[in-house]
Amino acid sequence: MPANLGELEQLVLLAIARLGDDAYGVTVRKEIASRAKRSLSLGSVYTTLTRLDAKGFVASHLGEPTPERGGRRKKHFVITAAGRRALQRSMLAIRTMARGIDASWETP
Amino acid sequence: MNERQIAPPALAVWILSHLLPHAERDNYLGDLEEIFRNEICPSRGVKAARRWYWLELLRAPITIGDRAPSEQLVPPIRGDGPVTNTLNDLRFAVRLLARRPGFTTLAVLTLALGIGATTAIFSAVYPIVVEPLPYPHADRVLMIYEREKKNETSFVGFTTFADFVRDSKSFEALAAMGQGSATLTGGDQPALLESQRVSPTYFDVLGVHAALGRSFRAEDDIRNTPRVTILSNALWRSRFGGDSAIVGKPIVLDANQYIVIGVMPPTFENVLAPGAQLWTPLRYEVSLPWACRSCRHLRMVGRLKPDVSAAQATREMETIFQRITKDHLTDYSAIGVAMPMLQDDLTKDAKPVLYALLGAVLLVLLIACANVTNLLLARAAQRSGEFTIRAALGAERGRVVRQLLTESLLLAAIGGTVGILVAVAGVKALVALSPAGLPRLAAISVNGPVLLFALAIVTLVGVAFGLVPAIHATRADLHEGIKQGSRRTAGSSRVTRGALVISEVALAIVLLVGSGLLLRSSSRVFAVNNGFEASNLLTMQIQAGGKLSNDTLVRRFYEQVSDAVKSVPGVESMGLTNQLPMSGDYDGQGVHIQNHPSPNPADDPSPFRYSVSPGYIEAMHIKLVRGRGFTAQDKAGAPGVAIINESFAKKYWPAGEDPIGQRVSANDPVKGPWLEIVGIVGDVKQLSPSNSKSDGIYMPETQWGYANNQMSLVVRAKGDAAALAPAIRRAIWAIDKDQPIVRVATAESLIAKSEAQRRFALVLFEAFAFVALALAAAGIYGVLAGTVTERLREIGVRSALGASAGDILGMIVKQGLGLAALGAVLGLIAAFGLSHVLTSLLFGVSPLDPATYVGVTCLLGLVAFGACLVPALRAARVDPMETLRAE
Repeated sequence: MPANLGELEQLVLLAIARLGDDAYGVTVRKEIASRAKRSLSLGSVYTTLTRLDAKGFVASHLGEPTPERGGRRKKHFVITAAGRRALQRSMLAIRTMARGIDASWETP
Repeated sequence: MNERQIAPPALAVWILSHLLPHAERDNYLGDLEEIFRNEICPSRGVKAARRWYWLELLRAPITIGDRAPSEQLVPPIRGDGPVTNTLNDLRFAVRLLARRPGFTTLAVLTLALGIGATTAIFSAVYPIVVEPLPYPHADRVLMIYEREKKNETSFVGFTTFADFVRDSKSFEALAAMGQGSATLTGGDQPALLESQRVSPTYFDVLGVHAALGRSFRAEDDIRNTPRVTILSNALWRSRFGGDSAIVGKPIVLDANQYIVIGVMPPTFENVLAPGAQLWTPLRYEVSLPWACRSCRHLRMVGRLKPDVSAAQATREMETIFQRITKDHLTDYSAIGVAMPMLQDDLTKDAKPVLYALLGAVLLVLLIACANVTNLLLARAAQRSGEFTIRAALGAERGRVVRQLLTESLLLAAIGGTVGILVAVAGVKALVALSPAGLPRLAAISVNGPVLLFALAIVTLVGVAFGLVPAIHATRADLHEGIKQGSRRTAGSSRVTRGALVISEVALAIVLLVGSGLLLRSSSRVFAVNNGFEASNLLTMQIQAGGKLSNDTLVRRFYEQVSDAVKSVPGVESMGLTNQLPMSGDYDGQGVHIQNHPSPNPADDPSPFRYSVSPGYIEAMHIKLVRGRGFTAQDKAGAPGVAIINESFAKKYWPAGEDPIGQRVSANDPVKGPWLEIVGIVGDVKQLSPSNSKSDGIYMPETQWGYANNQMSLVVRAKGDAAALAPAIRRAIWAIDKDQPIVRVATAESLIAKSEAQRRFALVLFEAFAFVALALAAAGIYGVLAGTVTERLREIGVRSALGASAGDILGMIVKQGLGLAALGAVLGLIAAFGLSHVLTSLLFGVSPLDPATYVGVTCLLGLVAFGACLVPALRAARVDPMETLRAE
């Protein structure tokens, strides 16, 4: 059974999609904060990323260390094909459900 | 901004780097640091950012390592990492404790009592015994005394001090000091302040200096220069509103003007005179009459040079002192010097009490632990099924032990937390109860080191009482565990529990013996004949200073006071004395007997000197043995007279020789002036009922060389003495409203206070013994109740086979009393060995007092019997049919 996505999972996947090559903990958190106005702790971002990883929706690789991070490596995330499908399915479900109730629900 | 300031909090980073799974550690910490530097710091500031970092620590996904398959080569096993394990154990332990609220409450309260009481006592022990005094290199500060025969010590005269200062090379600074008091006027009311008169080097010796203004300098100590004073921080705040411009301003003390030159810091702890509110220079010179070598009323303290040891300094001072005494043979009775470290000297009286109390409270803690271990064992017995299943499913032995340890540590931690609340309350009670002589009272609190101690105790206790059930649980045979019903358990656990109860009883007996001995001493002390009648006797101290600037005025004031007090309704009689029994006053006077010249007058008797008004001896109801008391005719100018007491008479006049009519001198052994002994009175306890020092000599106040500027007033009331105080105060202030009246107390309360140290120990010992007894009883009860539950089937069979209810009752009671008896025997043996540590607190009772030992054994027997009875009755009521059917 293909797993459904929770709201946080959607937000995180969308953020990774937007960020492209530059998706790691810091940028994901920042993207969600600036666009969705949701201030998440890094902990919740990571919990979600870990869950997505376990479901096979994201993949990760380690980047280069930089001095502003105290010389520590980044862990970059990209969406897998399965992830993309799950996100599309979940977005479609939302849109379909909202369609036709009232114009204000579709485009807030 | 420097690099360190904008870094994330190092401790939080450290914690995280240990909690995070290895695979996530680097990138997670990196992300946090990047957000910290690039987002939070610029927008909210470093402080807020550091706070944010700590909050992030709380939300960190410290179990994420378990569920990241892409990172792991080995398939994840739940509960594998050490952190996850501990968290799981903890979660399980919390659930378990929450499910058994009765058990948990009992265990937590028992532990809280034990840990709390121990922590409270330790908070008193710490600043007195462990912590160095709050001075730089406090171990270099030594007291310096003259050492008398019989290892007693005495203070030094100023001239001796001056010789030491001139000749010794071992000290950075030496200081002499005396007590004093001063009446501060200029505010709404005159205030009587305790002061300390010191050498200008005093603050150098302690190594603490004025926070505002300056400390004393050598020129402040020169007589007839403007007077100066240094204020304590408390006085500066309370009387002068913390005026920061106080330095240089004049204040009025005893009608003289003093310039304030400094204020001490708030942290300054003046252990040598804790009550002193201000300091003035000593201003002695060797030419002054009260600076003589035999005028031993100054305490001496010194700070060693860094490269000189206490032993070297003592050798040097000893040499100097031997030279001085050889040159001034008749001025010294001392045979050497004694130079203890200030801290040791200060705490030598309190130490035995504190050690005894610490010992007692540790016994209570041990009993509490034994009790909780018992509870845990009983529960472990019920849980043996659970452990068996765990083991059968593949749990290693260590894993089960860890689970049990987590539970006991959690229990100990909760108990410790509640215990700290108990300790805070306990410290308050302790300080309120503490005897006057307890040093460093202000430093007694639940502070960092004390909390660390509590933490150590909690850990120790948690591991100690967790290990016993853990070992039992894991030793159990798998087969046995599964075969047996949860009601029956391995015999080894029962043996352990029996042993625990035996040790509880033994420990309780030790405490009971201690408090029994103290109780009997206390009743002995208060049965002592003090030599005067304390009931219906009111005492207070009156001051004559300020504008009463000469002896004539002072003495007229005393006369007026006497007349006024006599006419207050309800007053039967009254008198005045320069030193009041049981009040802490101590004034000895060298006395020479005309017909008994001695080779060294410094060795002559030194009785308590009472300068009294006519009527004092009568008002106190002191027994007149022979001769006469003082009358109004024994005044200045009349022939000098004196009255001595029985012990003085007996010690210095051989049997058959009558002291009455003989002459003594308080001044010169050859020239007099001479006082004729006109009467002999009964001995009066001056220091405390248990202190046997009691030689005394009485002289009319008006015949003494100078007027005392403070006298104690004793008033014999017709009825309730305390109720007279307001009327008497009004009568005195009607004469002169500027003279302070202090130390208002009934004689009975003075006597109680003079025994405060023993009472302090007694109250605490009684409390500890009571707790110990209650815990031991609970222990006996718990074990028997457990036995009855476990043996229900056996009991059922027995009664089915014809055992009567009485037989069953007897069987259970016998088991309980057997444990108690064994414990009692061991306890009595231990008490025999240990009770001598209380010797310094006992009075009129031997540490091996048989009545005490028999009494506490009976008491314990009674309590133990009561504790046995409840489970025994339950056993006796067992219905054989029901239990057998249940099987």
